[in-house]
Amino acid sequence: MYARDATPLFRGTPDAVIAPADAEQVARILRLATDHGIPVIPRGAGSNLCAGTVPLAGGIVLSTARMNSILEVAPEEMLARAEPGVSTMALNDAAAADGLFYPPDPGSRTVSTIGGNVATCAGGLRGLKYGVTRNYVLGLTVVLPTGEIVRTGGRLWKDVAGYDLTRLITGSEGTLGVITEVTVALLPDPSASRTGLAYFDSLTQAGRAVSGILAAGVIPSTLEFLDRSCMDAVEQYAHLGLHANAGALLLFGDDGDEAAVARNFERITAVCEDSGAIGVQTAGDVTESEALLTARRCTLPALSRLGSLTILEDASVPRPRLAEMVARIDAITARHGVTMATFGHAGDGNLHPTCVLESAEDTEGIARAERAFAEVFRTAIELGGTITGEHGVGAAKLPYLEQRLGKAQMDLIRRIKRTFDPAGILNPGKLGS
Amino acid sequence: MTSHKVVSHASSIFDPTLLSRCISCGFCLPACPTYALTGDEASSPRGRITLMRALESGTLPADDPTLAEQASFCLGCRACEPVCPAGVQYGELLEQWRDFQWTGRRRPLAVRFLIFAAERAWAHRIAGRLRRAAHTPAGESQHSLMLGCFERSLFPGVSRSALALAPELAVPSNQGCCGALHAHNGEPGRGRQLAEELGAQLPGQIVTTSGGCAAHLSSVIGRDRVSELSEYMLHRVTGQVRIGDRRARVALQDSCHLRNGLDVWREPRALLSTVAEYVELPSAARCCGAAGTYALVRPRDSRRVLDPKIDEIEAAGIDYVVAVNPGCLRQLRQGLRRRKSAVRALHIADILRLAAD
Repeated sequence: MYARDATPLFRGTPDAVIAPADAEQVARILRLATDHGIPVIPRGAGSNLCAGTVPLAGGIVLSTARMNSILEVAPEEMLARAEPGVSTMALNDAAAADGLFYPPDPGSRTVSTIGGNVATCAGGLRGLKYGVTRNYVLGLTVVLPTGEIVRTGGRLWKDVAGYDLTRLITGSEGTLGVITEVTVALLPDPSASRTGLAYFDSLTQAGRAVSGILAAGVIPSTLEFLDRSCMDAVEQYAHLGLHANAGALLLFGDDGDEAAVARNFERITAVCEDSGAIGVQTAGDVTESEALLTARRCTLPALSRLGSLTILEDASVPRPRLAEMVARIDAITARHGVTMATFGHAGDGNLHPTCVLESAEDTEGIARAERAFAEVFRTAIELGGTITGEHGVGAAKLPYLEQRLGKAQMDLIRRIKRTFDPAGILNPGKLGS
Repeated sequence: MTSHKVVSHASSIFDPTLLSRCISCGFCLPACPTYALTGDEASSPRGRITLMRALESGTLPADDPTLAEQASFCLGCRACEPVCPAGVQYGELLEQWRDFQWTGRRRPLAVRFLIFAAERAWAHRIAGRLRRAAHTPAGESQHSLMLGCFERSLFPGVSRSALALAPELAVPSNQGCCGALHAHNGEPGRGRQLAEELGAQLPGQIVTTSGGCAAHLSSVIGRDRVSELSEYMLHRVTGQVRIGDRRARVALQDSCHLRNGLDVWREPRALLSTVAEYVELPSAARCCGAAGTYALVRPRDSRRVLDPKIDEIEAAGIDYVVAVNPGCLRQLRQGLRRRKSAVRALHIADILRLAAD
């Protein structure tokens, strides 16, 4: 049951699953595990896409399911304090009651936990304008594998006392310590938001529009793209009446003060048209906005219905090289005889090439997809990008990590890991291994 | 009522296409009432599908206690279906699972008794007549009202109200069970057969006062032949339900299969907003714990699911809570009675009739 997470093809059987109630209990478990050399794999909702919570070496899966209280929302300090098992959505809803919001919005936010978000430094659709999880974590309570309970950071926006351990733990994927409490910054809930979309003949043109929009001084809250294959899948699934021959779809959105949103929309529309858009649609109200957003939201479901095995990847490149990257991906997939559709966050250069296979038992097809993905990662690095933008390294990307970081950094990471976790019990086979 | 199965052949329990759909993303977790109770993957839809796969592949033996426990602990509410990005038909899979899991003597006693009773069509006919459930002589009617097999004796007033609202419907009293009970409790084959028989027996559009029956019947004889009462009555209700000189405050409890299976939930809300002041309960879409036979098979868990809902109903300052399925009605009434609540539970047919009178 706890043998896998949302990542296909990775599994490992745990020897035990424990759901402790607080930091003290976590500390006792970790001390015991360190003494006896038992692997411990911290786990939130298990919705990650990097096999970060798969117990490769057996051991104890430590579930945060019971640590699920929102401890406080402090509007005057614009922050919230929560236990790690709270879902991202629940945290955001609690903030909304005080007119605030928690900006990072990973696609799985209805199910993902804040602890898991911090552990993987989760991103989301609003990354370009609002940043990602790390930009909001103010403080953490962490239990070290040796049983000490430390509090890093706190409630302050400015605090440079010591190394920034909060940031080190954020994105450490459960390899350095177990997060038992999170303090996050919140922002005032924007009063207005709007969505629009534009069609282009090619992704190159869409890419030009993206650069143009940013050059015009607008930072949209949403700037997403779909390639032709994604549009076909979405159309077949949801019948939204998307353009039948456009080569790329760009979805844009902004939020904030109503007048500012309206002004930004005029500029975005103008830039899209100047960049050769073959159609621009903007939503008049919330319902229309929702309808336009559906195209992006249902991309993955639409793709996953094309087969039984969906492998979703997460390469990232500098923004201006997005179109080039997609073209290279198309060439790579053609060469390896696999089908891939690509969508993602045009604003921050984060792509999700997705390979759908007819059958989960098609080992030959899986091998071809893996060869293609290896080449995709190599290409991303070559273009100045990275092997994972927001999903994490986990077990899935570990083999490619050295290509991205180099030997010296890999060694440094291993030394940091040993300092935190001398017995090597926390999430073995992942970062730092 | 025989079911022919080769139990030893563990590799053909599930439809492989349906079973392979799940991508393990976990989007179903927050929707699942039993996962909310335990926080344990095994009692989540994703976990149960992992169990089904283990059963199918032989990784777990057929008599594994976790398999038996989880097949029975699941409410079968299908709240996981609308939130599933991969379109997993969990309800189908659960039926196939129970078909295997609850073979012969392994079926819970309460379920065996209910199925035995449901099979006695003559008893329902007599009980229905004794309890004065609606019936009309065979006539020229184009469409028909379906009489739930247990609803006839438990809540005979519901079909009378439905007939008062839609007097054009034919209500033959010799109709049988729709087979939903069988399908959800380990006899999908018999469940289909009964639905087909009922479909052949009743003329035209079949109107039902039970969300669960509506979902099962339409899965067998086609969606276009089945209307749940609130769908059928949409745009044709009149009147107001008043308490003294103010409009009554009413809330709805969705029927899980009606909402998650047939996507019918706007209709009853629209009707209730027309005849009264409608209040949406935060958990209106979540299972009340009745879940067909569940309240009888697992009374303790059923109450654990229901209790927070009764708290909500008490806190909402409402006069009536309305059900669109007789099982939910029974469950809500029992819960409210235990709390000695002043809120009354009514079937939608009854409250619409109250408004019209």
